[in-house]
Amino acid sequence: MSEPTSSLRIAVPEQTRRVGFRLQPGDRLVVRILIAVLLSMLCAGALVAISGHDPIAAFIALVTGAVGSPHQIGAALNRTTPYLLAGGGVAMCFRAGIINIGAEGQIAVGGMGTAAIALVWSNDLSALATAAALLGGAAAGAVWAGVATAIHLGRRVHEVLATLLLNFVALLLVQQVLAGPLGQFGAGFLQSPLLPRATWLPRIPPFNAHVGFLIAIIAAAALSFTLWRTRFGFALRVAGNSRRAASYAGFSLPLLTWSVMLLAGALAGIAGGIEVLGLHRRLIEGFSLGFGFKAVTVALLGALEPLAIVPAALFVGLLEAGSLSMQRQIGVPSALVVVIEGLTMLFVLAATVRRL
Amino acid sequence: MTDFIAAAIRIATPLMLAALGGILSECAGVFAVGLEGMMLAGAFAAIIGAWASGNDLIGILLSMLGGATIGLAVAIVAVRYGADHMVTGLTANILALGLTSYLLRVAGGGRPIAIHLVPLEAWPIPGLADLPVLGPLLFAQPPLTYLALLGCVVLAIFLTRTQAGLTLRATGENPEAVFTSGAEPLRVRTLAVVACGAIAGLGGAVLSLQQVGTFTDGMTGGRGYLVLAALIVGRWNPWGAAAACLVFGAAEAFEFRLQSFGVPVGSYIVQMAPYLIALAVLAGLGRSSKLPAAIGRPFHTE
Repeated sequence: MSEPTSSLRIAVPEQTRRVGFRLQPGDRLVVRILIAVLLSMLCAGALVAISGHDPIAAFIALVTGAVGSPHQIGAALNRTTPYLLAGGGVAMCFRAGIINIGAEGQIAVGGMGTAAIALVWSNDLSALATAAALLGGAAAGAVWAGVATAIHLGRRVHEVLATLLLNFVALLLVQQVLAGPLGQFGAGFLQSPLLPRATWLPRIPPFNAHVGFLIAIIAAAALSFTLWRTRFGFALRVAGNSRRAASYAGFSLPLLTWSVMLLAGALAGIAGGIEVLGLHRRLIEGFSLGFGFKAVTVALLGALEPLAIVPAALFVGLLEAGSLSMQRQIGVPSALVVVIEGLTMLFVLAATVRRL
Repeated sequence: MTDFIAAAIRIATPLMLAALGGILSECAGVFAVGLEGMMLAGAFAAIIGAWASGNDLIGILLSMLGGATIGLAVAIVAVRYGADHMVTGLTANILALGLTSYLLRVAGGGRPIAIHLVPLEAWPIPGLADLPVLGPLLFAQPPLTYLALLGCVVLAIFLTRTQAGLTLRATGENPEAVFTSGAEPLRVRTLAVVACGAIAGLGGAVLSLQQVGTFTDGMTGGRGYLVLAALIVGRWNPWGAAAACLVFGAAEAFEFRLQSFGVPVGSYIVQMAPYLIALAVLAGLGRSSKLPAAIGRPFHTE
């Protein structure tokens, strides 16, 4: 039970906390992940057949629903955006051996921060107003991640529990704020008033996708650079392989944990802000539901590689965008997509773990 | 007051059952993050089984099967393949959420099928139920609540007084030693996780069959995660975990009371109570909580 790393080989006692993820090294990783995706699609096909529908027809409806027209592609890109941003942050955490499941709460609080800024401070300079609102979202998301980090590091509560429990608190916090200061009175739903037009994200013409997708792509590239070309990224990778080695090399583990958690929180917060400014144009109740797990899904499906997360997030985004028209046309419940996501993850987990 | 505690015990019943399963899994060295999904699958199987057969007992048995299925998925991926327990459990939860939502709609021909059954009624135990304080608390409860209380006794005896219980705990502390002594750690862990699923499935049956008589998407609402906290607070001891669950049950019962009295505190703030209590207690325990030594660490024979 040694802890092998490529360049550092240090005797590590058995009690060393077994950290995060050890992905199978080498290029077969891609093949393994593709096989996992294929297997889950086959299982999904069987489930469709059980429900008395034609799996091939359902699949065709799914694909055409996702990429059938420029507008549909745009809708799929919009769905992809938050998963890509939050998934990138989660991947960085996992790289460092920190299992951050809190993207959902960070997205919720980030959306709240964005909406609050947009409502109280808006001006005619659209770009400035939008940027300020998004920065507010990033700050709010980072604060929420910071709360989890403080509980984790300060009181030794496992980060999975700290982030998970805070997700529920965040959801309720947004509801409380919508029932109070940020809410639109008498709307019937828990929602904020429509945000000022100046803060809305511009749309990209033929697809009608908002520019959030471009922000997400740029963020993915920046994360890839950070992970592979900076001292911080190197420290993350060392810490993920062996905490002992990271300490020995002189990296401060608490500082690393704080930095990567705040980074992930800020990214998730921006994701929440983009949902609010680009898609809903107001803060609505439960807009972040399920996003936390999807961030984990795309992070692992992309093998914790920021650039590979782009196709992974597109896969999930396209599936979801297509599932609605599959439900409309064929009558297969769109909840099938959640099954596909769960199965894919199980297969990916089983297929990519490094066997000792 | 007696009413309030009796309500807290009823509300805590699903948590207690899930905690019993979670103790089995975590003492064997596998984090029980999948409890949420096991409960959800159990709740679904229970309501479908009871509705289709017209017999609550069939529903209860099926709930164990539903939970055990999710447990098996976790066991295969986390135990056999040695994937990360936390993420595997989380994935199992999503799989359960997706499968139950999907099948609920398939059963209803596209829309969620509407099933409304009469919730399981209280079975007052003749004689004992008339005892002054203990009667209404312990002997006038619905059937699955008795099962949860009985389960605590059985599990406590199993873990401390039987050979199998000892092997299970040893597997969580030092699987290599268990292997050397001739037992199969992988088999022990697999069985423990599947049993955990079956028992947590019963907890789900309490939610659907005993508390409301229907199933809604994601009706477990994070209870599985609260149980994870209860396990740590209760130090993997059936009575300790049950007591912790009771605190969460009391928080929820208190919430209903507050709402019915029209207290001006924001209702969403009040709903945060169980999660905040869980966080506060975990933070309060800090480093004093001691996990089974080999928890989360995969076992490989070489």
